[in-house]
Amino acid sequence: MSSWLDYTINGLIVGNVYALVAVGLALIFGVSRLINFAQGSIYLVGAYIGWVAVVQLHTPLPLTIIVVAAAAAIVGLIIERFGLRPLQNSVRIAPLLATIGISFVLDQLVMLTFSPNPRALPSQLPDVRFQVGGGTIGPLDLLIAGVGLTSALLLFVFLRYSKLGWAVRAASQDRDAAMQMGVDVNRVNQAVFGIAAALGGVSGMLVGMYYNQIDTAMSLQATLKGVVAEVVGGAGNVPGAVIGSLLLGLVESYGVAVFGTSYRNLFAFLLLVVVLVLRPNGLFASARQAPPEPLTGTFIAPSRPVRIPWWALAVAAAGFAVLPLFPVSFYVLQTLINAWLLGMLALSLTLVAGTMGQVSLGHAALLAIGAYTSALLSLTLNVPVGLAVIGGGLMSAALGTLLISPSFRLRGHYVSIATLAIGEIVSLVILNWESVTRGPIGISGIPPLSVFGYDLISPTSIYWFSFAVMVVLALLQGRLLTSHLGRSFRAIRDDDIAARAYGLSLNRYKSLAFIFGGFAAGISGGIAAHLYSYINHETFNTQQSILALTVVILGGLGNVVGAMLGAVALVGLPEVFRIAAEYRILIYGIVLLLLVRFRPQGLLGTM
Amino acid sequence: MTTGASEPLLALSNVNTFYGQAQVHFDLSITVARGHIVCLLGGNASGKSTTMKIILGLVKPRSGNVTFDGASLIGLTTPQIVRRGIASVPEARRLFADMSVRENILMGAFVRNDREAVAQDLDKMLTLFPKLGQRLSQRAGSLSGGEQQMVAMARALMSRPRMIVMDEPTMGLSPLYVDRVLELIRAINQEGVSVFMVEQNASLALEIAHEAYVLQTGKIVLSGPARALKDDPRVRDAYLGGSEAA
Repeated sequence: MSSWLDYTINGLIVGNVYALVAVGLALIFGVSRLINFAQGSIYLVGAYIGWVAVVQLHTPLPLTIIVVAAAAAIVGLIIERFGLRPLQNSVRIAPLLATIGISFVLDQLVMLTFSPNPRALPSQLPDVRFQVGGGTIGPLDLLIAGVGLTSALLLFVFLRYSKLGWAVRAASQDRDAAMQMGVDVNRVNQAVFGIAAALGGVSGMLVGMYYNQIDTAMSLQATLKGVVAEVVGGAGNVPGAVIGSLLLGLVESYGVAVFGTSYRNLFAFLLLVVVLVLRPNGLFASARQAPPEPLTGTFIAPSRPVRIPWWALAVAAAGFAVLPLFPVSFYVLQTLINAWLLGMLALSLTLVAGTMGQVSLGHAALLAIGAYTSALLSLTLNVPVGLAVIGGGLMSAALGTLLISPSFRLRGHYVSIATLAIGEIVSLVILNWESVTRGPIGISGIPPLSVFGYDLISPTSIYWFSFAVMVVLALLQGRLLTSHLGRSFRAIRDDDIAARAYGLSLNRYKSLAFIFGGFAAGISGGIAAHLYSYINHETFNTQQSILALTVVILGGLGNVVGAMLGAVALVGLPEVFRIAAEYRILIYGIVLLLLVRFRPQGLLGTM
Repeated sequence: MTTGASEPLLALSNVNTFYGQAQVHFDLSITVARGHIVCLLGGNASGKSTTMKIILGLVKPRSGNVTFDGASLIGLTTPQIVRRGIASVPEARRLFADMSVRENILMGAFVRNDREAVAQDLDKMLTLFPKLGQRLSQRAGSLSGGEQQMVAMARALMSRPRMIVMDEPTMGLSPLYVDRVLELIRAINQEGVSVFMVEQNASLALEIAHEAYVLQTGKIVLSGPARALKDDPRVRDAYLGGSEAA
């Protein structure tokens, strides 16, 4: 009984921490209709500034909080001014992608400055526990609760009684009408980014103290949890975000109590998917509220794709095909094999995100499904590797489509959130389903690639095989896009209401897109598993999903040739310039930011 | 009630507007004299609402000039234009649905800093729109269409504007409220506020307007004193798109 009280207290405390992140997300969503994927990075920055203040400057606790809030607010203002304001008049996807790019850049900067190793962040508070009822509570718990309540109160007073607060509320309900009352929307944006960043930074610092540990992995987790809490409470709804956060904290805490720590995140994401499916406007939204995001084609930059003559493509393909006949190094082949594998994933994503308009942030899950299926088929059932890889593709197509199907009725940002959550769920299921996936140990000793009994061991043969598979998939996809199916996909992307009015079934066409895309990604994952010979639940992570998205945007959303070109460019160029591995993610983030700002249609144009 | 100045309060001259490749306005020129009610008539997709957006700085014209009280508005942001003394009653009213009626009306005074005078003006609004008195703490989104129109007009007046621009103020209202709205526009005008309104309902608008312009696919096809246009068959033709035949 006493432990239940402890779990409740823990849930509420963690919920308070989530609330500090989620409230900021809700404010920003309210004013800009933007899910700020950089919120977790600000939380990370807050934690590290807290570390600098406490460990190096030895500031007293109240001053630490002020320093962290102020520094984080400055970061927020910089993001708003230089990252997002220039994108005000661009397509709706641009700011979303920009916040993803910003989060990569910030996370990597923190990692490069402080090293990826975890650090201890002492709480500066006496380590005592008070007995409350049957449970215990410590000074840090009280501090977190106090910061949470104080922030909520200050925010309430700000929104209710200050002029700028009124402007924030008015702008979040009707931006144009607010402008017509004389509200300067840029100032409103500044205000909400500053507030959101200050709260997020303090939240990161408090979490660091709570667990006495900070590391760079905190960032993505915080963004995910904040987004879950915000969507549960209703996107843009500030009090809803607080309640959603407390609910999330409790659900996680009780889930951990019953099933164990490794299930914590699974509950968070299942809660998100359930809410997205049943009440996409959040638990507290009234029926009269507009459906989320009446987005149409403007989500993706329209452009005239660059026409590449077929003979040029044929020459390029032939060039890459005969490349191994020349004396090129193993290293070049290895790099290009990686590019071909990424190219297959990019083909899949460019179909789903570009042609179909479902911007998936969890595409790595399809790789994981394909990889695990192929590895397990060949290892435990002794299925020949060639067939096992195809089995991986089929499983990815089937399971991926099934998993994503609840989100078929969502649009725009909500698809991205749902796919991000589904990606996390797949990785968590792999982690926890030990009897099948071998859990955290991973699968080792995966047999090498072989086709019709011939083992593909030499880099040359692997190169040819993966290149051929990618080209075949690309040809199929090119054929698909010129058929009526491709037209239907684009019609749904550009205006799903109009498409439905013409009798197109969203479920059928979205399923078809995910089946084809899932197959290509699953094949890529399957081949990768046999190349690596060892995989675990972290082999295919969100970073790869984002890398794939960057590739697709670099090439031009929906552009088949662009996807392959993007893969070669993004895998190859860092190798050409011999950029050290730790700077690569930073470069990817910067590439994404520059693209969104200066060439949102990508190199070859969207289709 | 003219001030005697010959210079118009608002003037659009040779405005050309584009949405991407599509041209919306062709050399549009409109003037609003001080103290007058001017209405812009036209059917669907004639470019009426875009004219409003041009005045408010929500859409930038590719060429041409817009002046208010002699000074150009080109290049100003919407909040800056509002501070010059133009208030708006947007199409479909666009209230802040989750804010209270009181908060909505006070939002109209956002550009003002004289708290006491704002409070007095709020009282004045309640005498002008007596029905709103009982609704002050209600969510604006819960009011009927006609009541919302009253709030939108009160909100616009709260900035003490020199001119109000209205986008289809009678749209979607019951006949009773239509008459009431027209009466109010006339009353507002008699207080010295110039009015520029965009309307589809020509016969109603011509009742209260001093001058009128008829817009057809981005071009002014007819203009003059409202009294003269009232019985002009060409007004109706313009709506039906048959001006060449007429």
